[in-house]
Amino acid sequence: MSYAIETVNLTHYYSKGTVQQVAAINDVNLQIEKGELVGIIGHTGSGKSTLISHFNGLLKPDSGKVLVDGVDIWKDKETLRQSRFKVGLCFQYPEYQLFEETVYRDIAFGPKNMKLSEAEIKERVLRAAEFTGVKPEHLNKSPFDLSGGEKRRVAIAGVMSMEPQVLIFDEPAAGLDPKGRKDLVELIKNYRKQTGSTVIIVSHSMEDIAGMADRIVVMNNSSVAMQGSVDEVYSRGNELRSMGLNVPEITEIFAKLRAKGIDVPANVYTVEQGEKILRSLIERRSAR
Amino acid sequence: MSEKIIEFDNVTFIYDADDDESAVQAYPALTDVSLSINKGEFVAVLGHNGSGKSTFAKLCNAILEPTKGKVSVKGIVPDTEEKADEVRRIVGMVFQNPDNQIVATIVEDDVAFGPENLGIEPAEIRKRVDDALKCVNMYDFRHREPHKLSGGQKQRVAIAGVIAMQTECIVLDEPTAMLDPMGRDEVMQTIKRLNREMGITVVLVTHFMDEAVQADRVVVIDSGRMVMDGTPKEVFSQVEKLRSCGLDVPQSTEICHDLGIKECVLDVDECVDEIARLLGGAV
Repeated sequence: MSYAIETVNLTHYYSKGTVQQVAAINDVNLQIEKGELVGIIGHTGSGKSTLISHFNGLLKPDSGKVLVDGVDIWKDKETLRQSRFKVGLCFQYPEYQLFEETVYRDIAFGPKNMKLSEAEIKERVLRAAEFTGVKPEHLNKSPFDLSGGEKRRVAIAGVMSMEPQVLIFDEPAAGLDPKGRKDLVELIKNYRKQTGSTVIIVSHSMEDIAGMADRIVVMNNSSVAMQGSVDEVYSRGNELRSMGLNVPEITEIFAKLRAKGIDVPANVYTVEQGEKILRSLIERRSAR
Repeated sequence: MSEKIIEFDNVTFIYDADDDESAVQAYPALTDVSLSINKGEFVAVLGHNGSGKSTFAKLCNAILEPTKGKVSVKGIVPDTEEKADEVRRIVGMVFQNPDNQIVATIVEDDVAFGPENLGIEPAEIRKRVDDALKCVNMYDFRHREPHKLSGGQKQRVAIAGVIAMQTECIVLDEPTAMLDPMGRDEVMQTIKRLNREMGITVVLVTHFMDEAVQADRVVVIDSGRMVMDGTPKEVFSQVEKLRSCGLDVPQSTEICHDLGIKECVLDVDECVDEIARLLGGAV
């Protein structure tokens, strides 16, 4: 079976051919399974955004390959075009990219480019709007009359309406308040559950990634520095810190409890998980 | 009684409707806000998206003028251009997106931009720029191109630009929203140093609760109204109220609260101590 996305020795340079030439990503070999939810973390400039911009052909590799569903997306023009529909990319602050006269038309822009029938387009727009919580009465409004949070939902609906096999989010929750952040994490989790599609999230929030990812890829110095389960990656806190990252606060709390000689597991990544462990520990101790 | 630097006196702000359609929707971004910020304080301002906290920040240095009520800075009401300029010399501002506030192609030129506009002597500018860059730990980068710096470094250059103007107060509107964990930490360390070592008054608007707990005082704005104002412990002990405002508490605070620990903890070390005590007590 082929991977949803696979990169083979993928390399991309910035300022190519000048004295300032620098590899933004260097020899990256990565496999993303169908249906996986993968978190990508890494400090600013580590190559995350350059990497994901290759997944649907926004950037062309200087060497190496990108395979979507087993097919090299740069094989020919039509394959490249199809890869843009198969792999949806939702940029950071996507609300700045809204441009249509109405919310409806903005969400319909992708499906229209796919040359779907009017009926199919309408169905998809309504489905994506409902899923993302865009209010029906907003569909005929200008997107510019909406609040920041509402605009972001419209922008996300605009990518979801293309019903891509792979949906990539670059910092989806940046700038949102805590509730907006939580709601968005839930939205993405539900999307994955309902559609079974592959989802890739780039984020600076270790907590958000801990709460949703099946697997984490860590980018550092233009290469993949680590990859594995949440457990495998967050158990290497010191290495992560040396790369300008960290671990969720709750993970740090449990590490310090262990350092005090309290017998708790080290692999705790969410508050819910931590609370359960401590509660059973308290019960056990008071039963004695 | 400490000296007041910024005073809000029953301030209401309504974004101007320039056409009929939006006039219908005109609603106050801030309603009847009164508070005063003392010289040397480090105040964090929290609120959901659209709560009015950015409006609050912009009123502090006369980017906006109140619709009703009065904002004054060291007693100056910025009702003329001259007085607004005077206020901006006292209160400097740093915004969310570092790429939108860099004007020069070399770091030290960027920091010099503000003092140059104030018409200060070149020798004095040189000194101020060097001091400001040292203060944010960016002196070694003074000859670099700002667009090649990381987000955290760019924000520190922006902060240096404000310090070089020798403002007494600095207002930061979500300065870490776009930064990675290390960049956030660098900016927070810088802000704290400015406040503790140089006595600069800091107003930090943020969505990150772990940043707010580091302030002396936390103000919460909900739908344009000031709903909480107190020390971090006073504010973060009200977990349910914060959640009802679309906010949250740090994970350390959350787990102790959920386990029924009475003491409000704010950081990892306090949390570890309280949990250890709880477990010890249960033996």
